[in-house]
Amino acid sequence: MKRFPAKPRRRRALIALVALCLCSGMAATFAQGERTQEGNLIASLDGGLSPLLLPRHRLAPVALHLEGGLQTDDGSTLPRVTGMELGLPGQGVLTTRGLPVCSPTTLRNATPEAANKVCGPALIGRGRLTAEVLITNQPPFTIHARLLAFNGRIDGRRAVILHAFAASPPTVVVLPFVLHLRKGRYGTVLIADLPPSLGPWPHFTHFDMTLSRHYVYRGQKLSYLSASCPLPHIITAGVFSFARATYVLEDGGRISTDIPRGCRAR
Amino acid sequence: MGAAKGSDRRPLAAVVVLIAGMLCAAVASAAEAPARDEYVAQLERVCKPDAEATQRAMKGARADLQAERLGRVAGKFSQAAAIFGSTIGKIAKVPRPSGDLAKLSRWFGYLQRQESYLRQIAAELRTDHAIKAQKLTVRFIHNGNLANNVVLAFGFDYCSFRFSRFG
Repeated sequence: MKRFPAKPRRRRALIALVALCLCSGMAATFAQGERTQEGNLIASLDGGLSPLLLPRHRLAPVALHLEGGLQTDDGSTLPRVTGMELGLPGQGVLTTRGLPVCSPTTLRNATPEAANKVCGPALIGRGRLTAEVLITNQPPFTIHARLLAFNGRIDGRRAVILHAFAASPPTVVVLPFVLHLRKGRYGTVLIADLPPSLGPWPHFTHFDMTLSRHYVYRGQKLSYLSASCPLPHIITAGVFSFARATYVLEDGGRISTDIPRGCRAR
Repeated sequence: MGAAKGSDRRPLAAVVVLIAGMLCAAVASAAEAPARDEYVAQLERVCKPDAEATQRAMKGARADLQAERLGRVAGKFSQAAAIFGSTIGKIAKVPRPSGDLAKLSRWFGYLQRQESYLRQIAAELRTDHAIKAQKLTVRFIHNGNLANNVVLAFGFDYCSFRFSRFG
């Protein structure tokens, strides 16, 4: 007699468990983002804008999150990356008017605390970086670094200066991504050259980065990044080409992944 | 006795002939089934012109949508669906690598669903059901990503789903 009410409860619990498994499976799928494979090398990219709900006809402050990386499908050593390009849609607006600038030389050998002390007013984002370190006659090992992103200028061009700091072993790398404006789908491109002098870092496996900065300049509230969701009134949400990550490899090869993402119009 | 021996040998000979036949068939089918690299190259040759044609067909779709010219956008999606359908027809005929049959069968399943989504989006737009078309577009992109994941190791370029080709 008592067993009858227990059955639907058990079934509900089972359904909930299956739903939970499905949801976590889907979350795992999305967490990796989109992937591309060339030979045994897999490049991945994920990210999005926050908030998703944006005005149709005017710009609003946004935060941009990007994460991605490289891996091999057979666990072999990652190739060295000699350059990286991050393409973002030209419709987004990047404002640096009145934002302090940080010079890469001031960040050399600085801990994150020291970097913040010197360049704090130019801070535009934070993140993490994981790299595979290869030293001759030693097995490869992984290091984890904190990333700080600062507004900068390189040869008169706007740039994002990345400061990577790993505590063990203590390592500091300063990497400028120079901003180029181009025609086409990804009109805003951040380009970094990764010279051999960077040492083991170019074998990086994963990065995640959030760019966002609100500031006041001459009494005006400004945002480092702004975007709108320019959709006609007949639809409430749209999908657009959001970002493309291209890795230039030491053998001259390139691997890139691009991702579409959505916005909702208000 | 001698006759009996001869009749004993006949089934043995038949088995040998059968095994030889099976071996020949296996060798022949192995010769027909291409290696994965060869298969990818063959498919890419088919997909490249069609992917470029899709890009041309979808050109201006975003601007049309912005200007609420849904009929024109529907026409572009119909054209893209027709190109996609014809591509699937052509690549389905290419002999598949024997080790990848299950994987490719799943991939073709996703591709057929992609074509169906394109046709449904066109139909919804033609009847001014923009919100339904919007929902189908999200499913179309998700399905395209699932398709890509199945054949990730193949390293397809033009045969893989790229949202950027659709305007």
